Amino acid sequence: MADKETVIGLETRISGEIRGDEDLVIRGRVDGKIHLSQTLTVDKGAIVQADIDVRTLVVAGTLVGNIVASESVRLQPTARVVGSLASPRVMMEAGACYRGRVDMGDVEGARAAVASHAVGKPTTSSTTSSDAARTRPAPPRLAAPPKTAVVPAKAPPRAPTPERTTTATPAAPPAFPRVAGAASSAAPAWAKKKIRRR
Amino acid sequence: MAKEKETKTMANTVIGSSIVVDGEITGEESLTILGTVKGKIATGQAVVVEPGANVEADVEAQTVTVSGKLTGNVTAREKLELRPEAKMVGNAKAPRIVVADGAMFKGNVDMDV
Repeated sequence: MADKETVIGLETRISGEIRGDEDLVIRGRVDGKIHLSQTLTVDKGAIVQADIDVRTLVVAGTLVGNIVASESVRLQPTARVVGSLASPRVMMEAGACYRGRVDMGDVEGARAAVASHAVGKPTTSSTTSSDAARTRPAPPRLAAPPKTAVVPAKAPPRAPTPERTTTATPAAPPAFPRVAGAASSAAPAWAKKKIRRR
Repeated sequence: MAKEKETKTMANTVIGSSIVVDGEITGEESLTILGTVKGKIATGQAVVVEPGANVEADVEAQTVTVSGKLTGNVTAREKLELRPEAKMVGNAKAPRIVVADGAMFKGNVDMDV
């Protein structure tokens, strides 16, 4: 059965929800939601517009949506990703494009936020996420992550930190100026447009 | 080496046995289902419902081969085949329909006569 890994082929489009307990490779298009207990790979050329809750995520294609990965996220050089990202380990390789908020601490809170996001629209989710984090009974995972030290090996210089803490690097192409904080979860229309053009 | 294998199956979509898809699958390549699909399937190529798979969907494809369980209306432009392990409930529309000994089927058949 191992030879029959789950693949969404190049010419296939799925809109809806995908759940499962095995690895999934997307080469085509998926719109909706993806919930896996294993690894999700978004191959080069794939376009995914979905809220994602997986164990590990590898992106080489285009991905728009809120991401929760309980183990790790790796953005490969060809990746283009827009959306908030919560995972204890995040790796961005040089060349990867990413815009959004990264949270390497509170995976549980982000998960709750993504879950609630299913009902409401993005605007609320940034508040919900912090609320959920607060109300949650002492997130045990929070205690764990000294691991967090395993951080972007070589983040590309323009990897945007959505909060404008880094006022330096004026040369950095005005990363994504409009994104300070709030809009992180929404994937603004202009961003989607940009990605579609590709 | 695993990569090479992958590129061979590149043109295909496989829904693995522990995967549940709830929604719509459309495309222009063959689709193999070992897991569960609910909703709608439309493809220009073959759809294969493997043993153990559970499909609750309207299916539209060039050829449809059922070895698992399929509930829904099937339209095959070329051929519908129900293998011995197949269990199908729904209407079948195809110019050629093959029902093997042992297959279970309940529904209307339309061969365009």
